[in-house]
Amino acid sequence: MNADEQLEEFEKRARALLEESVTRIDARIRSRLNQARHAALGELETPRRAPWWRLFGLAPAAGVAAAVLVAVVLWGSRPGQMTPVAENASSAVEDLDLVADGETFDLIQQGDGGFYEWAVAQADVGQETTG
Amino acid sequence: MSAFATLASVYNTPVAMHGAVDITDSNTTTGSRALNQFLASVELKAFKIAQAALRHEHDALDAVQDAMLQLTRAYAHRPAEEWRPLFYRILENRIRDMQRRRSVRARIMAWMPTHRDEDDEEPVDPLSQAASEEMAPTRRLELDEAMTALEKALHDLPARQRQAFLLRNLEGMDVAQVAVAMGCSEGSVKTHHFRALKALRARLGEFST
Repeated sequence: MNADEQLEEFEKRARALLEESVTRIDARIRSRLNQARHAALGELETPRRAPWWRLFGLAPAAGVAAAVLVAVVLWGSRPGQMTPVAENASSAVEDLDLVADGETFDLIQQGDGGFYEWAVAQADVGQETTG
Repeated sequence: MSAFATLASVYNTPVAMHGAVDITDSNTTTGSRALNQFLASVELKAFKIAQAALRHEHDALDAVQDAMLQLTRAYAHRPAEEWRPLFYRILENRIRDMQRRRSVRARIMAWMPTHRDEDDEEPVDPLSQAASEEMAPTRRLELDEAMTALEKALHDLPARQRQAFLLRNLEGMDVAQVAVAMGCSEGSVKTHHFRALKALRARLGEFST
């Protein structure tokens, strides 16, 4: 038997001895291991709440969202930055009335703007006489 | 001829079927049944591995229990074929933690020479010493001696060598699985295993002549 074979034989005996030692584990230890296993499996049955420190995992996203919201609110409330749309809101509503009024809209579309030209001219004359 | 060499017939005894028992009680759901079977199949061998490293029954039990809990909590959802290497990796980490803690405690206790740590000396349980099956007293004695010598030699091995040897020979894992469990390359596993074998052979050589 060469050295390698001797080593193999030795390993075989050691393995058999280890397996035998497992079979000889006494009932008390087996019972403890059984209890430990069931305790571990009990973890699967009871849903666990996420630990409180996990909530900090959402902090960066929440912080960015809050910062964006604050920035939008502050930007919108600056007095010098009122948008033109806001200023002309009333005229926009008047334009809408004009379009909604079907008769007036037809006059404009037909190119019959004579009445309006006359009205504007009368208004100009009136201003000159009063001024 | 020595005890180690002449006990081959004794080893023909089938390995305990404890691990193969399907323990299914009413609380066990289908989802956890596979995990239950897996844990049952490894718990005895895991205990022996922990005991070989720690040489302390309670610590070995604690290590196995912690490994079971950790596997269940963190890896139960993983494919079943991954459980074995993961479990032994967790167990080895746990064993290492306990060894570190023990060495720190020993250093602290060294300053108190009058202190006697009762945990270090386990009471001998007569039940555990009782024969589990009928066997001739002389053969039992030989077997006990061989086991004690092997366990002592295993304990004295470097941790990585012991781990490689036990996972290969006791748990029956292949080199690839052991590499995953040990977190190293397959080449390292082969090296650790071979060195362990040589060291054990050198130490227990008288048993095989």
